[in-house]
Amino acid sequence: MINVNTRMALASIGSARWRSFLTMLGVIIGVLSVVTIVSLGEGVKQQLGAQVKRSGQDLLTVRGGHLATRSNQGKITSVNLLNLFGGNALSDSDLQTIQKVPGLKLVAPFAVVAGVPQADDGTQVEDVTIVATNDKGADALSQDVVYGGFFGADDNNKPVAVIGKRVAERLFRANVPIGRSFELRGQKFIVQGVFQEFDANPLTPGIDYNQAVFVPYEFIKRSTTTPLTPYQILVRPDNKQTPQAAGQAITDTLKQAHGGQADFTVLQAADNIAIANNVLNILTSLVTSIAGISLLVGGIGIMNIMLVAVSERTHEIGIRKSIGATNRQILSQFLTEAVVLSTVGGFLGVLASLAANYFLRLFTNLQPVITWPIMGIAVAVAIAVGTFFGMTPALKAARKDPIEALRRI
Amino acid sequence: MPVIELQDVSKLYGFGDATTIALDEVSLKIESGEFVAVMGPSGSGKSTLMNLLGLLDHPTHGSYKLGDRFVSRLRPNLRAKARRDTIGFVFQSFNLLPNMTVLENVALPLAYKGMTKTRRLKQAGHVLERVGLSDREYFYPYQLSGGQAQRAAIARALVNNPSIIIADEPTGNLDSAASRVVMEVLSDIHASGSTILMVTHNPELTRYASRVVFMRDGSIVTDEQSAIGELSETVRRRSYFVRHKTVEDDLAGVSALMGAVQDKDTQPKAVKKKRSSKAKSYKAREKRTKAK
Repeated sequence: MINVNTRMALASIGSARWRSFLTMLGVIIGVLSVVTIVSLGEGVKQQLGAQVKRSGQDLLTVRGGHLATRSNQGKITSVNLLNLFGGNALSDSDLQTIQKVPGLKLVAPFAVVAGVPQADDGTQVEDVTIVATNDKGADALSQDVVYGGFFGADDNNKPVAVIGKRVAERLFRANVPIGRSFELRGQKFIVQGVFQEFDANPLTPGIDYNQAVFVPYEFIKRSTTTPLTPYQILVRPDNKQTPQAAGQAITDTLKQAHGGQADFTVLQAADNIAIANNVLNILTSLVTSIAGISLLVGGIGIMNIMLVAVSERTHEIGIRKSIGATNRQILSQFLTEAVVLSTVGGFLGVLASLAANYFLRLFTNLQPVITWPIMGIAVAVAIAVGTFFGMTPALKAARKDPIEALRRI
Repeated sequence: MPVIELQDVSKLYGFGDATTIALDEVSLKIESGEFVAVMGPSGSGKSTLMNLLGLLDHPTHGSYKLGDRFVSRLRPNLRAKARRDTIGFVFQSFNLLPNMTVLENVALPLAYKGMTKTRRLKQAGHVLERVGLSDREYFYPYQLSGGQAQRAAIARALVNNPSIIIADEPTGNLDSAASRVVMEVLSDIHASGSTILMVTHNPELTRYASRVVFMRDGSIVTDEQSAIGELSETVRRRSYFVRHKTVEDDLAGVSALMGAVQDKDTQPKAVKKKRSSKAKSYKAREKRTKAK
């Protein structure tokens, strides 16, 4: 009987395609938004996981501002979104303070410098970020320089630069522009290396390192009057101490230097994932509640159209009852129709989210990941919506008096 | 043994002063294999009786025994199952489902019985062959003539091998040739041993019946056996008084009346004019009815 009902439901949907599609639209939009946001979150988590794995568990990030609140166990409990994206910067003296902390293998500042690079042929690329860092920058980012080399300790005071892949393509229209020069703030810089392409980094939405020019920190500091303000300082402790101990030492020292104020944050490698999770959870709950409303509206749409169908097909209900259909069989027929509507809507929603993910991967640096459980849950929710909202019309159909129903044409 | 046994069955609608007695303590016994024609004017309770016998409704008072089972107080689901297994309906307007083929329509009662698709289509095919529609299995109802559609409806009523066929004016929507074919099919079914109850307004069709029941105001007024092929005594007597008038007969009557009035007219002209315009509007109305 379920087969017969499903076939009849599909035929009924097929006979009024446009109406059925409009009915399903609420469910489609609901499923699309939930699946997309969850898969985005999943993608970001996977990217961050891979990034942490690559950079190593011992990498510490010092950032300006109070970014997160920690529990007594040191776990992040909440994130200050304003500080996270507002970018409270550190200062050059913070860098010097950290460099004095013992037991650190690597300390690399990253500061954004204003300026537009201009190639010798006059080409200017305006949306390039100039990042000032020291000779430890590449190590800190765990990124290889694919052509040439990163600047060494003796290059810190020289006008040299290592550039991202896109800068090479856009500024010099070449893959390997080693030895070529560009002008920045009235100073010629010579390209001595090109970075391998960076993976998309979802947590630094403002800076795409593939579109960045890396210049020596010391050189910039000397040649400009504006003080440099690193947006982050990456630190790696030596093998003798744990990242936690090193983090604590940096925190204590910096706090002392800041007059007892903790207006900075030292993040462990795993904290980046915790922050991302925290941000994503806020986003997910926001989008899920909107999607929930969409599913609710979709469900009401299904209920409405099923009530219309019951009313339109009253005569048919009468005929079916007269040839022996029980109330339960009529109920199951109309309930199946509602469930088929919502299930088809759910599947279309999943298909739409697959398409959305494809375009997100194509046009942004986000890498959403749709997993089977996400799709399964989305379709299950759609089925639940159909069952819940299809019940009232189906009951109404089942309870129709056969004689009255037969009289209605 | 009677296949249907009604004992003092009444059906009331409404409450208080608005109570309508559709059936008034009707008692009726129908033996297996009878072909009962039920006649009577509109509002006499024929359809109510058929709905009760067909288990589409339940009586307000009295008992209904179907076969060896009392069914007057069955719960709706059990009533539906009893209806599915023992009764086949044939309606005046065929009532085939338009989005299904003839074969699917005929097989539908078997689907409600839980039969597999292959078996029910096979069985439906056999029944369609019996009513002479095996070449129309994959047609949709809108592709059939009235007579064919009614034969398909009869096949649907037969597919469950019901003990009773209830036909509510089965030829009401058919021309005389198609009516004859449908009645022959019902007659064949009767000859094979089925019990048939048929509501009809056409006295000629009672020739197919073995028993004729007349109803008026919710009661059975006459109930007599008749030889197949013959008109029962009551039908013959009543047919004598039924005036078979057409619209033309009516109009002729009006013009004759008008002619008589004109001859002996002593009234002012204005009144005459008014009368003739009334007659004209009557004619126009009749024409419109005819056109419809």
